[in-house]
Amino acid sequence: MTEWFAKVEKLFTAAFITKDRWKLYFEGLGVTLEIAFFAAILGMIIGTVIALMKLSTTRNGKKTVLTVIANIYIDIIRGTPSVLQLLIMWFVIMKNSKNGVLIAVLSFGINSGAYVAEIVRAGILAVDNGQMEAGRSLGLSKAQTMCYIVLPQAVKNVLPPIGNEFIVLLKETAIVGYVSLTDLTRTANQISSRTYDAFMPLIGAAVIYFVVIKILTILLAQLERGLRKGDNR
Amino acid sequence: MIIVKDLHKTFENNHVLRGIHYHVHQGEKIVVVGPSGSGKSTFLRCLNLLETPTRGEIWFDGQLITDPKTSINKVREHMGMVFQNFNLFNNLTIMENITLAPTKLKIMSKEEASENALQLLQRVGLAEKADAYPGQLSGGQKQRIAIVRSLAMNPRVMLFDEPTSALDPEMVGEVLDVMKGLAESGMTMVVVTHEMGFAREVGTKVLFMDEGIIMEENEPAEFFNHPKCERLQEFLSKVL
Repeated sequence: MTEWFAKVEKLFTAAFITKDRWKLYFEGLGVTLEIAFFAAILGMIIGTVIALMKLSTTRNGKKTVLTVIANIYIDIIRGTPSVLQLLIMWFVIMKNSKNGVLIAVLSFGINSGAYVAEIVRAGILAVDNGQMEAGRSLGLSKAQTMCYIVLPQAVKNVLPPIGNEFIVLLKETAIVGYVSLTDLTRTANQISSRTYDAFMPLIGAAVIYFVVIKILTILLAQLERGLRKGDNR
Repeated sequence: MIIVKDLHKTFENNHVLRGIHYHVHQGEKIVVVGPSGSGKSTFLRCLNLLETPTRGEIWFDGQLITDPKTSINKVREHMGMVFQNFNLFNNLTIMENITLAPTKLKIMSKEEASENALQLLQRVGLAEKADAYPGQLSGGQKQRIAIVRSLAMNPRVMLFDEPTSALDPEMVGEVLDVMKGLAESGMTMVVVTHEMGFAREVGTKVLFMDEGIIMEENEPAEFFNHPKCERLQEFLSKVL
């Protein structure tokens, strides 16, 4: 038993303590969070714009060219692997850029945008059409009604699936190891190849991901509760 | 004030309005009755172009509003509408519901709009609800607020689309009272309703719609006491 403990302690020390390796995990986590955070913001912006484009109609209720563009975008992004999109962004579209994090943010943001677009669209469609009609009947334009009435209500509808999307996005950033960015997963992998022990670094990284996502989940739940205040429907 | 010429509306293969001609004069209270599916709500919704007519012309104050070049938002500022399902903005307080359009459309300053809203709320006896959210109100209260919200724009005409149909019976009266008060103040009104008592008491003209046309129109007393066409006689025998 003591032997076993001694062995675990040795592995633990090698994985986290020696040469202050624990710092490396947090540096990796920093890269992961940086990419995920900015990609999430970009994805939200792209997603909302694409959703509004997809929902746009002419005066007679016909589809517009914006709808077609939005559909093509969503089809292409959802129809190809995100690893491939990252590789294409890295080695083809932005091959002259030195800013790896920027490339990753763009790639993940554009990817997330397609999924967010469908979430936002569903959220808007879930708002009773009477809200739009009431706004229009008062003389407000479609854009004004959308902005002041429909979107604020849609935000409440979409919070659970958007939270889901954020979590997926955060974990998906682990594929940046493919393009030699040193995020949390890659850090763990590198350390394990140096210490000849896979268990401690990989489990350590897994625990860090878990804790971060747990915190994110709690924050999202609080936000949702805050937004639901004042409506007893 | 509103002139409707040969109005047609088709949904897919469903020919809902089949040629409506009508002239609403200033100060009139037009009550539209008829069986469900007769096109009366569609007719009303065409008046402020919530439905786009398939064919025909609608003139409002000398302006052809069915012309695609007409700024429909400007026209709607002068036409209030009250819906069956109230359609209060769920994310805003009552005060915000009422002041949103006048302030965003730069018709009033925030202070003016609030003051105006409070006066209107007092008129319908709901001033203490200014900071409540729609979800906290009863159906009758919601509909009174919806009327106030439309009035806050100082419309020239008010359209009512079955305003009491979604209400519990004991709340119908309070909404009708507000509408009666509005009628007395001289507002031009077009009301689609099933409330025959209201039609008889408040209406200056009652229209009977069926199969997408206006089958009969008359002053309330004649309309209810001596209906001419057979469909109307049958309809009245069922609802009265």
